[in-house]
Amino acid sequence: MSEQSVIHDIGYQRYTGVRLGRGYAARSLFEHGLRVAFGLGRSAKAKIFPWIVIGLVTLLAVIVVAIKAQSGEMVLTYQDYPTAVSTLAMVFLAVVAPELVSRDLRNQTLPLYFSRPVGRADYALAKLGALVAAVWLLLAGPQTLMFLGSAFTAADASGVGAEARGMLGGWVVSTAYALIFSSVSVLIASVASRRAFAAGAIVVVFMVSSGVAGLLIALGGDGPMAQLAPMLSPFLLPEGLRSWLYGTSFDVGAYGPLYGLVTLLLVAGCTSLLVLRYRKVSL
Amino acid sequence: MNMTIAWITARGLFGRRRFLLLLPMPIILIGITAVGLAANAPADELAEAVLYGLGVATILPLVSLIVGTGVLGSEIDDGTVVHILAKPIPRGRIILAKLAVAASVSAVATAVPMFVAAVMIDGVRLGLAFAAASVAGALAYSALFLALSVLTRRPVLVGLLYVVIWEGLLSNLVAGTRTVSVQHYVVRFATDLSGSAWFETTVSMAVAAVMTVVVTIAGTWLAARRLRSFSVAGETS
Amino acid sequence: MTDLELRGVSRWYGNVVAVNDVTMTLGPGVTGLLGPNGAGKTTLLHMMAGFLAPSRGAVTIDGAPTWRNPAIYRKLGLVNEREAVYGFLTGKEFVRASAKLHGLPDADAATRRAIALVEMADAQDRRMDTYSKGMRQRMRVAAALVHDPAVLLLDEPFNGMDPRQRMHMMELLHGLGAQGRTVLFSSHILEEVEQVSGTVQVIVAGRLAASGDYRTIRRLMTHRPHVFAIRSSDDRRLAVALMASPSVAGVTLGKDGLTVHAGDYGTFTRALPRIALDQGVRVRQLIPSDESLESVFSYLVSA
Repeated sequence: MSEQSVIHDIGYQRYTGVRLGRGYAARSLFEHGLRVAFGLGRSAKAKIFPWIVIGLVTLLAVIVVAIKAQSGEMVLTYQDYPTAVSTLAMVFLAVVAPELVSRDLRNQTLPLYFSRPVGRADYALAKLGALVAAVWLLLAGPQTLMFLGSAFTAADASGVGAEARGMLGGWVVSTAYALIFSSVSVLIASVASRRAFAAGAIVVVFMVSSGVAGLLIALGGDGPMAQLAPMLSPFLLPEGLRSWLYGTSFDVGAYGPLYGLVTLLLVAGCTSLLVLRYRKVSL
Repeated sequence: MNMTIAWITARGLFGRRRFLLLLPMPIILIGITAVGLAANAPADELAEAVLYGLGVATILPLVSLIVGTGVLGSEIDDGTVVHILAKPIPRGRIILAKLAVAASVSAVATAVPMFVAAVMIDGVRLGLAFAAASVAGALAYSALFLALSVLTRRPVLVGLLYVVIWEGLLSNLVAGTRTVSVQHYVVRFATDLSGSAWFETTVSMAVAAVMTVVVTIAGTWLAARRLRSFSVAGETS
Repeated sequence: MTDLELRGVSRWYGNVVAVNDVTMTLGPGVTGLLGPNGAGKTTLLHMMAGFLAPSRGAVTIDGAPTWRNPAIYRKLGLVNEREAVYGFLTGKEFVRASAKLHGLPDADAATRRAIALVEMADAQDRRMDTYSKGMRQRMRVAAALVHDPAVLLLDEPFNGMDPRQRMHMMELLHGLGAQGRTVLFSSHILEEVEQVSGTVQVIVAGRLAASGDYRTIRRLMTHRPHVFAIRSSDDRRLAVALMASPSVAGVTLGKDGLTVHAGDYGTFTRALPRIALDQGVRVRQLIPSDESLESVFSYLVSA
């Protein structure tokens, strides 16, 4: 006796509601990346390192404000601030960049992402954006703190205005640092599936390139070499940019605009390579 | 010291991608020295910047870190260490084999370019001094990073913090911390062996020698001790 | 003849008790360690292999503790669950390295023997990262056997093996057990355990629920009804008569015959022929249907 095969209706319903689309997915990735960078939404152990770094950078800002309140002298200007904490920022990046991208590679979760409306470029840009935002917050947050502290001790409204302009200048410098540091770090981390390897590679690239740049500067004496060599170091490139825009760092001679161009090319280049890297992903 | 373990470790090291990271550094060191000499830079500045700044302070610790955490850390991470541990071999011998490989590879990878660069700058005596100092430094660093591999689950991170923050920043700012900084022992060895007056460090030869031995032995002993109580948790990873 | 003994062994992680007061002795032959996922099998195996310290109790092989005692590995071979191997080595190099690490005087001969035992001679010169999961598993077994251990521990050894490989592995384990070695393997797949070993150790939620031959265990479960499948010349008539008997707890009439739940094994098996004879019903087939390991296991797990 053959029976009729039938699928029963047990009330299964397809989702017919609103689907928020690609933009929402990309924004969520960005927000998630930012949370991962600061250890939010994860266990206490994951919070230790980022919050120590945040503590240290804030401490420096607080000390500067305190000294300003006591003696009226600003030992570290807004624009000087990022360079003072740049090493710490590099260590932060060496830990966070792998956390953002290397883990997905190691656990092979990329197919999960790419089989959904999130595009390849969206993923890459969202991760990059999250890291840029994290580093920017790390640098600009204390600068804002310095402004608030200074604003309270300012003599009058024009003093506050001057502080505000200083802070905005500092923000611009922080943006340059954030863009340069992050684009290089994420690119390096995206080719390494082990976090330790990625962290090591980032530190090696940063430190060796700085060493080489430092050397070339020393060799260059007063000539053009000393003005051009800083471009090789991710620590000094934003300083060169700062000199071009505000003239407050080392002497860049006539090469100011070149610094701007190189910064642009570096960031754009690293970003494009990052997007290209995720075009072809194999397990 | 177990030859089979050393052989497996060496094969594992040369087969991994992270090893490629080691290649550009010696080349950069020598290349930069050549550029400096071609630009007629004064020898003392060149030595300070290349041999100390790039060589001792950056390349030596980073190479030792990459190799030292690679010889045991990655095996612990992916679970293959069980193949070595499930054998009737004293844990101390396992650690010694790993240390021998890590120290040799780091030493060769740094001492050779340091020798070449130093000879180019100021002759054979400086070259030999820096080569010897690099070997001592590689040994101490390797023991340190090997111990970290067994003690923590993220040895590269802790090692990086040590190199960048402790040795990079603090030891140059706070004189007291230099007695616990391998970088300064290496500088002391290089200075005294070469008779050169170009490098400054507040650590005396006696302290440097003793501390290098202490760090090496302590690191090895600690690693072996912890390896004896190595546990594998419940279900997979 | 080597004995692996666990006495009052417990292991906890903070508030979670993974293994709870397990006492057992494993002797020569093949024993299956059976339990659902998360029951504590792997934890127990790691403690037996000296890779985890018991929080309480002692694990010993011939009296020597397994924890912090590398000498134990002369008698012990371990094949654990994680598949990780040195991908850059060929199969032969891997087994040979194992032989050398054990300090065997003739490593090459031992390697050849071990590889032949697992039938991997064809692929032995290829790098291990080109092997399939089952091939890697077999090479790991070879590496664990190369020093001729008296005790062999395997954690889920049949994972990822195709039917032919599985059959071969079962024969291998059977043979090793017959040679007098103490072989313990863990599994949550009942057919595997049924086919390879008669002796089981059933572990549920960290506790040892039962040990021994599973059919005997079944019979020890007196408070569970035994289920029989009966085919006869007149099912309904037999059914009615059986319901009248005090040893019968329930009868189900089906297309293929009767399913009888009997409360007392002994009484029922004596009563059935008499009842059938009295009723003039010819019994064609009488099969106990819950003596499989699966039903024993399900009774133990739900207890």
